[in-house]
Amino acid sequence: MQPIRAANLLPEGMTKVEKTVRATLVDVLGISAERAADFTATTPLFGALPELDSMAVAGVLTELEDRLAIVIEDDEVDGDMLETFGSLVEFAVRKALV
Amino acid sequence: MTGGPDIDYYDWPGGREAMLCFGPLRPLVLLALPLFEEYNRTRTFAVTLLHMLAGRGIGGMLPDWPGTGESRVPTDQMTLAAIRAAYRALVDDRAPIFAVSIRSGALLDVGVPVVARWHLAPQEGAELIRELERQRSAEGDVAGNVISALSLAELAGATVAPARVLRMESDPRPADRKLQGSPIWCRAEPANDRPLAQILADDIADWIATCVA
Repeated sequence: MQPIRAANLLPEGMTKVEKTVRATLVDVLGISAERAADFTATTPLFGALPELDSMAVAGVLTELEDRLAIVIEDDEVDGDMLETFGSLVEFAVRKALV
Repeated sequence: MTGGPDIDYYDWPGGREAMLCFGPLRPLVLLALPLFEEYNRTRTFAVTLLHMLAGRGIGGMLPDWPGTGESRVPTDQMTLAAIRAAYRALVDDRAPIFAVSIRSGALLDVGVPVVARWHLAPQEGAELIRELERQRSAEGDVAGNVISALSLAELAGATVAPARVLRMESDPRPADRKLQGSPIWCRAEPANDRPLAQILADDIADWIATCVA
């Protein structure tokens, strides 16, 4: 049975973006869908996931650009945005749903 | 049709480069891999695809461009203009050619007299630059490749030509066909995807049949 997550209570657009971020992490980092399904807003990313090195960060950002039809400038990328799954989703939502 | 590919060579105004050749002489596909890091990630998949095409009676060439693969041209002297000249020389020599590419490989068949173009997830020059800039290390290279300023300037304005386009379903951009699964080019470790290669081999075979019909 799926635990209720905060994401389920968000508007449809935001849930779709969250799903895209999750799928992107699976595809770029090569982690299992099950492992990514357990990520919550506070799950730490950069610095905590060994798979998420600087090359993988580049790959995640490029994929998010393609999938969400957004452009991510260099100066928008900082440690805060990559700190947790929640912060990354929040960033993507802000870019995608403007 | 069993056994490995043949190693052949082609000449272009700047020298001679190696290439792998698969299957029969005709019909003949020229497969262009992506440039830079994605080349490493997709090469195994491309070779698998070319073997499958050979099994369907379709020949294939997988060239090393100047500055890539086994080429002795240093990477910092690699330019899009040189690679496009090499592409053109190869097509002129072996025409008629069916142009097949993966990602930024699509930038290479622009303005070349091929029978038709087939692109998997074509990537424009500006998008490639954004990706390269992200991958740039503190030392200024990109995954061990030193990329010249000229090369970057060329890529900035480089666009792809009209083609039959296939994309992964996670990509919202327009395509003639969407494919299930993960993009093979986005993981750091090279991956292979034989089921996807079969699907693409069938698509390319059908496409060639409609081109010559």
